[in-house]
Amino acid sequence: MDNLMLLLEGFATAAQPIYLLYALFGVFIGTAVGVLPGIGPAMTVALLMPITYTLEPTAAMIVFAGIYYGGMYGGSTTSILLNTPGESASIVTALEGNKMAKAGRGAAALATAAIGSFIAGTVATVLLSFLAPIIVDFAISLGPVDYVALMVLAFLTIGALLGGSPLRGMASLLLGLVIAFIGVDDTSAAQRYTFGLPWLADGIDVVLVAVGLFALGEALHVAARLRRGPIQVMGMGRSRGQRWMSRSDWKRSWKPWLRGTFIGFPIGTIPAGGADVSTFLSYAAEKKLAKGENKKEFGHGAIEGVAGPESANNAAAAGVLVPLLTLGIPTTATAAMMLTAFQRYQIQPGPLLMETNATLVWALIASLYIGNVMLLVLNLPLVGLWVKILQIPRHYLYAGILVFGVMGAYSLNFNIMDVVILLIIGLLGFFMRQYGYPVAPLVVAMILGPMFEVQLRRSLQISQNELSTLFSTPFTWVVYGAIIVLFALSFVIKKAQKKMEEVPV
Amino acid sequence: MLGTRKKPGETAFAFLFILIGLGGIVGARSIRVSELETGIGPRAFPYLISAALLLVGIGLVIQALRGQGGEVEEGEDVDAGAKPDWVTIGKIVGFVVLFVLLLETIGWPLASTLLFGGCAWALGAKPWWRGVLIGFIVGLVIQFLFGGLLGVSLPAGPVLENVRWLNG
Repeated sequence: MDNLMLLLEGFATAAQPIYLLYALFGVFIGTAVGVLPGIGPAMTVALLMPITYTLEPTAAMIVFAGIYYGGMYGGSTTSILLNTPGESASIVTALEGNKMAKAGRGAAALATAAIGSFIAGTVATVLLSFLAPIIVDFAISLGPVDYVALMVLAFLTIGALLGGSPLRGMASLLLGLVIAFIGVDDTSAAQRYTFGLPWLADGIDVVLVAVGLFALGEALHVAARLRRGPIQVMGMGRSRGQRWMSRSDWKRSWKPWLRGTFIGFPIGTIPAGGADVSTFLSYAAEKKLAKGENKKEFGHGAIEGVAGPESANNAAAAGVLVPLLTLGIPTTATAAMMLTAFQRYQIQPGPLLMETNATLVWALIASLYIGNVMLLVLNLPLVGLWVKILQIPRHYLYAGILVFGVMGAYSLNFNIMDVVILLIIGLLGFFMRQYGYPVAPLVVAMILGPMFEVQLRRSLQISQNELSTLFSTPFTWVVYGAIIVLFALSFVIKKAQKKMEEVPV
Repeated sequence: MLGTRKKPGETAFAFLFILIGLGGIVGARSIRVSELETGIGPRAFPYLISAALLLVGIGLVIQALRGQGGEVEEGEDVDAGAKPDWVTIGKIVGFVVLFVLLLETIGWPLASTLLFGGCAWALGAKPWWRGVLIGFIVGLVIQFLFGGLLGVSLPAGPVLENVRWLNG
């Protein structure tokens, strides 16, 4: 009951008009960047970080959480209405959503995605509210060796399990760890890889790296291979009788919404998947469970194939907040940026966060509920606006991304050298995309790396450099066991995924 | 998701990881370790990670030489089948460099106009002056919102230096 009180207090904070405005601002910007190809929530949070220094922490975190949830909603609009293959997280939705839009049922597809996202987001936020305090109670008893095990799990899943090539994922991850070394070592105050240059002593800012990879790298990547010709945005099927979800659409959607929620949330919670895996699993489940006529519709615009994955997507997004708020471990690029924001405000993430900053955390969680309602309202009637945004000429869009990127980099320290580093990292990001290296592991590793090293050195110091200490608690056995199970599972899933992708659509 | 075409650029890029790994190992040797250090110290982890990067780099080079290249990342605006357009890349990088050189002399509104207009032109905006015009408006709006209202100290440049509402 104690937690319920705290949550209610959180609502009292988040419902203040000024915070409602911040939440609205966040979800609005979030939806816009979710809709726009080429920008995502991680980059937006990174860009806004220097600007939000003038805000107090609660307001800033409410804005960031809004962007995070909003990005998830916005992405579905793009994958349903834009007639080009998108990034992997939205590819599953595009599978059926695109077909529905082509058949003039775009409005129904958008509606089932938005309502599913709302239901999944809300249920998952409820789960987060009740699960987080329980995990915190447990996490307080964890020692450094347990954290080392958890972070090994996070490193391996983020680097090797996600994405097509484990070697490339690990390369990206390790490069992030190396970049994070640059600067003064937290534990011993020794300078590492600074080459005697004073401007490297503070290290390379993770915000700079994120903006470089996501803004500049992405813009260069698109510039190299810009899809020419008109932008093919499909209509929403506003002909009579086709506007909205029919009775049978509702009947076919509600189960996938709930199933998607319960597939997505656990996957987001364990640092093992991110959104891609959950959308794929949900799609596979819906396809398997569909019967008769509905089953035949798969591949030709089955509404279950939109409802399930979109719900799973949002539930996973909420799940990611569980390790972030209870353990201080980010598992996605956006979560890594939110953790950076905490650190900027001198707030130490980890199991004590919910105690030392209870007001902030519960206001943040309450604002997630509020944000979800706002997003439902923003997305259903305002979808026409988002479609307009989708049609922005690409040369202006990417020129704008570049301008905002250099502004974000420059306003970090008002040092032009930062823009030079931004350009170098941007080029790195371009070549990584060019040759199929995922960029998100690099950003997450930059945040996790220093935390990992501190915990590792603390563990070894306590045990007087006895390596066996790393396997000394039952919790570590569970985690290392889980790693083995996850890798075995991932082989099965990857095989199935390949099979699905090979089916001609 | 590995393709089977050989690309020399890919091998070169994979070599970069080997180089960084090697550099990391060499660089770790010159990290100063305090005599009071009782733990594994500031060198151990860099050694470990650099060595891992070196190994992964070797694996990547072997993959690249065997023709198991990675696939170009897909995206809504990306024509993954197209050849990379190096001229456009060069133009954009050039405009960013120009921005770096000019920002502190001509100020944010003009420098960002140049960057926006230049990049829009490089990406095929027609006519070119429309991009410049939009860039100028975007630059001024950013200067007003962030410089004027939020107090982010963007340099307004010699012409607008004394305009109050553009400087926080």
